[in-house]
Amino acid sequence: MKKGILYVNQFFGQIGGEEMADAKPQIKEGLVGPAMELDKQLGEQIEITHTIICGDNYMGSNQDEALAEIMDFLKDKEMDIFFAGPAFRAGRYGFACGSVCKEVQKQFNIPALTSMNEENPGVDMYKTDVVIFKGGASAAAMRKDIKAIADYAKKILNNEELLSADEEGYFTRGKRSQIWLSDKTNAADRVIDMLLKKVNDQHYETELPINIAEKVQIAPALTADQLSNMHVAIVTSGGIVPVGNPDRIQSASATKWGKYDISKLNDLVSGEYMTIHAGFDPAAANADPDVIVPLDALRAYQTEGKIKGVYKYFYSTVGTGTTQAEASRMGKEIAAELLADNIKAVILIST
Amino acid sequence: MKLEIGNFYVKDIIFGSSTQFKEGVLTINKEEALSLVREDEAITEADLIIAKPGDEIRIVPVKEAIEPRCKIDGSIFPGVTSDLAPAGNGKVHALKNSNVLVVGKHWGGFQDGLIDMSGEGAKYTLFSQLLNICLVADTDEDFEKNEQQKKNKALRWAGMRLAEYIGNAVRDLTPEDTEVYELDAITKRSAEVNSLPSVVFVMQPQSQMEESGYNDLVYGWDANHMLPTYMHPNEILDGAVISGSFMPSSSKWSTYDFQNFPMIKRLYKEHGKTLNFLGVIMSNLNVALEQKERSAQFVAQIASSLGADSAVVAEEGYGNPDADFIACIVALEDAGIKTIGLTNECTGRDGASQSLVTLDKKANAIVSCGNVSQLIKLSPMKTVIGELESLARDGLSGGWDNDEILGSSVKADGSIIMENNAMFCGDQVAGWSTKTMREF
Repeated sequence: MKKGILYVNQFFGQIGGEEMADAKPQIKEGLVGPAMELDKQLGEQIEITHTIICGDNYMGSNQDEALAEIMDFLKDKEMDIFFAGPAFRAGRYGFACGSVCKEVQKQFNIPALTSMNEENPGVDMYKTDVVIFKGGASAAAMRKDIKAIADYAKKILNNEELLSADEEGYFTRGKRSQIWLSDKTNAADRVIDMLLKKVNDQHYETELPINIAEKVQIAPALTADQLSNMHVAIVTSGGIVPVGNPDRIQSASATKWGKYDISKLNDLVSGEYMTIHAGFDPAAANADPDVIVPLDALRAYQTEGKIKGVYKYFYSTVGTGTTQAEASRMGKEIAAELLADNIKAVILIST
Repeated sequence: MKLEIGNFYVKDIIFGSSTQFKEGVLTINKEEALSLVREDEAITEADLIIAKPGDEIRIVPVKEAIEPRCKIDGSIFPGVTSDLAPAGNGKVHALKNSNVLVVGKHWGGFQDGLIDMSGEGAKYTLFSQLLNICLVADTDEDFEKNEQQKKNKALRWAGMRLAEYIGNAVRDLTPEDTEVYELDAITKRSAEVNSLPSVVFVMQPQSQMEESGYNDLVYGWDANHMLPTYMHPNEILDGAVISGSFMPSSSKWSTYDFQNFPMIKRLYKEHGKTLNFLGVIMSNLNVALEQKERSAQFVAQIASSLGADSAVVAEEGYGNPDADFIACIVALEDAGIKTIGLTNECTGRDGASQSLVTLDKKANAIVSCGNVSQLIKLSPMKTVIGELESLARDGLSGGWDNDEILGSSVKADGSIIMENNAMFCGDQVAGWSTKTMREF
């Protein structure tokens, strides 16, 4: 019998909701929450022996301590494999699952598996280190996501052939290895197939995708002198909009941006402006939207002569779950407007 | 230009009193064959050993592979083993399924490889599927005995003489079947053929050594000393190009590969149906950037002048030559020629490294044949042809004598751990490869 241990957050560990997000890690013998389904899916040969539960905020704010405490729980346990999640689209939980899996692999040299939705920021943070299965958006996908992890765990522990990331269903880790094609199509045939598609303008897939990261060069710093003669624009991915969200910007995975006239304002007032960003606790931003769009502070700088003025609009979108491609498109669109108005200084505020 | 390759299918190879081919059985008079090998006084020891598919045999260090053939009105390697003469026209007789393997009796080098005839290791090379006549020999070429880079001149030339000697056994016989390779001159093609998308095959044979003796030869001429030129594909299938003795082995094109080049044969198969095969642009691989750019510029110019709509570019090598490969693809794409690349990759033992040394988004259609640095562990074999220790001792590109973590490539029990780099012609970039690369 092989043994595994599962990590879950306070919510799935059934100790409480957001109010328990600061809970320190604890280990329970046996099955809590998703551990039951996981144990069932793993079948007769693999058993989940313990469940580790930790509050998402505790992990987020005290990562080193939390990981040390969890590793301490594990050091005397027999285990062949480790699991975390599934974390679906929950960002803090995804971060926790990724960091715990990475640490377990490092300390105990055993496989550690998790599952997240593609929009979970934990994916980008941990996908090169950890096998993260492509999971559903919410707990409605629990059974399916657990089955995917369990099936792969069984293959690992039974020493079965492990297929590519796409075939298995996890996010690619940036590792390329050779495989033999099961249909034995040779390279010459593959060249002809690709060639005929390319010359006939049909879709084909290269076997060696070339992804060159586009890096934007950082602009040279402005001197205080230059700044005192410039209008400064505010652009944010923090989701501040006039109450009512007139442009219907999405709260996550945004594809839209809005611009709002602040030429006659000195302050963004609670009740008139708010955030529609779904990826953080909105309480502080809704109480005073200037914490994200610091119009009040910039007006003060304007009075002091540090800047010449504030650009007449502020631009806003939502950064959570937004793809790199959409973010890049929106950035280019906003930059084009600012350049057309000869704006050379922007404060870009993320949350 | 019309080339007829008459095929004789070898089912077994034995030694006997006269060299002949009868009912599928190739008999070799060993003494007569070896006397031909020993014509070169540099050869001090030589033997012939047969290795068949399924045999529990490991062969290392392998230097070259050559298909036994004869040319009815000429010789099989013009400009190399005989006087210069045009290749690509006339009749060739070939002993299919058989192969002359040139194996060092003791000494290997960077460019040499390994073949397992059975077991897990057999899938890594094409040559495990052939009936191999292993010429196992040593020479007095002491100047390179302890050099990592070896020209292997005496052994490689002996292999070519041996392949032609064996091939002569079928000179006067009637082939079981005949492959015909014929292309009309480009300006003499039918309207129907001319209406098809046209394609050139750009070959980049290994030619990076400045010193002579290591590079692939084109009619005996060092490919380092040439500019890209237009060739008829038949010339390559008929021995105009021979393999060299430089480049990690899995990336190598052996002479056997040139004689049978699957990518050329595949383009022929499409000619007149879906494509108009214009021919081969024989380029090369260089060291200096300006040389790389010059070759790419010549290739794009020739392809444009020929009116090519598309191109296939294949490189014999990885690492530094990736720059030639990508430069050539970019030059062709910039000339409006839709290009497919054919190569292997070097993503490291952990698979996390960049695939090619140089990348360009214009190289948007590549067929990939494997990872040179994949680690391979293989159990011991009953018999070793050559010298197993050479894998660890002699600087084979995929072997080592003392890795901090992995130890020596060769273990006391005869098992081995190596990189794919040292699998003899393992990545089969000539077009045989059923391997590809996937993300994990």
